[in-house]
Amino acid sequence: MPQFEQIEVFQSLMFWSVVSFMLLFFLLKKFAFPPILGALEEREKKIRSDISEAEKLRQEADSIKADLQRELKSAHEKADTIVQMATDESKKIQEKTVQETQNKVRQMQSDAEQEIQVSRNKLFNEIRGFAAALTVASAEKMIKKSLDEGDHKRLIEESIDEVLREMESKGA
Amino acid sequence: MASDSHAAEHTSPLHHFEVHNIIPIPEIAGIDLSISQAVIAMWIGIAVVFGLFMLIVSRGVSPVPSKLQSIAEVLLEFVRDMVNEFIGKEEGKKYFSFVGTVFFFILACNLVGLIPGSYTITSQLVVTGVFATGIFLMTLVIGFAKHGAHFLSILVPPGVPKIMIPVMVPIEIISMIARPISLSVRLFANMTAGHTVLAVLFGLAMTAPGWISWAPFGFTVIINGLEIAIAFIQAYIFTILTCVYIGDAVKLH
Repeated sequence: MPQFEQIEVFQSLMFWSVVSFMLLFFLLKKFAFPPILGALEEREKKIRSDISEAEKLRQEADSIKADLQRELKSAHEKADTIVQMATDESKKIQEKTVQETQNKVRQMQSDAEQEIQVSRNKLFNEIRGFAAALTVASAEKMIKKSLDEGDHKRLIEESIDEVLREMESKGA
Repeated sequence: MASDSHAAEHTSPLHHFEVHNIIPIPEIAGIDLSISQAVIAMWIGIAVVFGLFMLIVSRGVSPVPSKLQSIAEVLLEFVRDMVNEFIGKEEGKKYFSFVGTVFFFILACNLVGLIPGSYTITSQLVVTGVFATGIFLMTLVIGFAKHGAHFLSILVPPGVPKIMIPVMVPIEIISMIARPISLSVRLFANMTAGHTVLAVLFGLAMTAPGWISWAPFGFTVIINGLEIAIAFIQAYIFTILTCVYIGDAVKLH
């Protein structure tokens, strides 16, 4: 086997392979590996930061969404409250108005009734007064007539005239 | 080499493992550093690796990678994951360049050897041996530099009863010494075996009668495909074991 027999070339093979290896090592270490590894690391860093950025943005969006939903919900609640309040208020106003109107009407009714009552009483009193005067006058004349039959009709006429005069004087 | 066996060696499937000096360099202090076809093949391999990397870098690496950059990134991530897993994320950064170079150097040498007429330098046990020994010595240096004399506790697995320590320490020493041996022999043997099989099949294809010679030739094509996979797998195994050994020295258990 030449690998064990050609002893004379061993030194050269070992020397050149080690020297070549060292040369390749320094060349790769100096020129080749750093930029490529740098690009790799840069990309990894970029991907990692992009992912974390995306994660952060997602969380932000989530929190914004939650905020908006909360705000929307509170706005809904507020609107509901406002509508409720307005309804209550309008109902109250309506009831109050109805109450007031009813009171007014009732007041007016009772006023009118009272006035009517007053007028009637007054009228009755007046009628009673006239009737009494008429009765007194006619009775007086009738008594006078019993003494004088012929003057009967004239007496009544006189008393009526008297009453009429009295009424006229009162009316004036 | 005896001249009468020369003809026989030319048809031997092991013939292509012979190293021939192409550029002779005069001996310096008794050491012959002549450049052989094996060294030139290795240089072509690492030149391609470095050239491809430089092509990517000179075009400008971008966060959105080109196709070539994607391939380089996949390979580098592959190495980085190994380093992170076995050495540790923070410690691993110091060793990444070394481990990455080990991977690309062995991969380049393995792959360049699959080109017919080229040479696989990793099929030389002395080459794989010098790397395995170098890595083994490196782990010792790292271990003692990091943990001092406490590093010797690597010879006692955790949880071993005290009475077993005299037995465990020699076993652990043997297993430690076996590491560089198995590391180097595994790579050398895989590369040698694959190329020998290819040589045998190709020899058959050349010598078989015409009506059947397509069969062994077809097999060489299939085995060549298999060898490409093995080139990757062996580079991966060598690299991952390097990571494991360095990781053991760094983490101590």
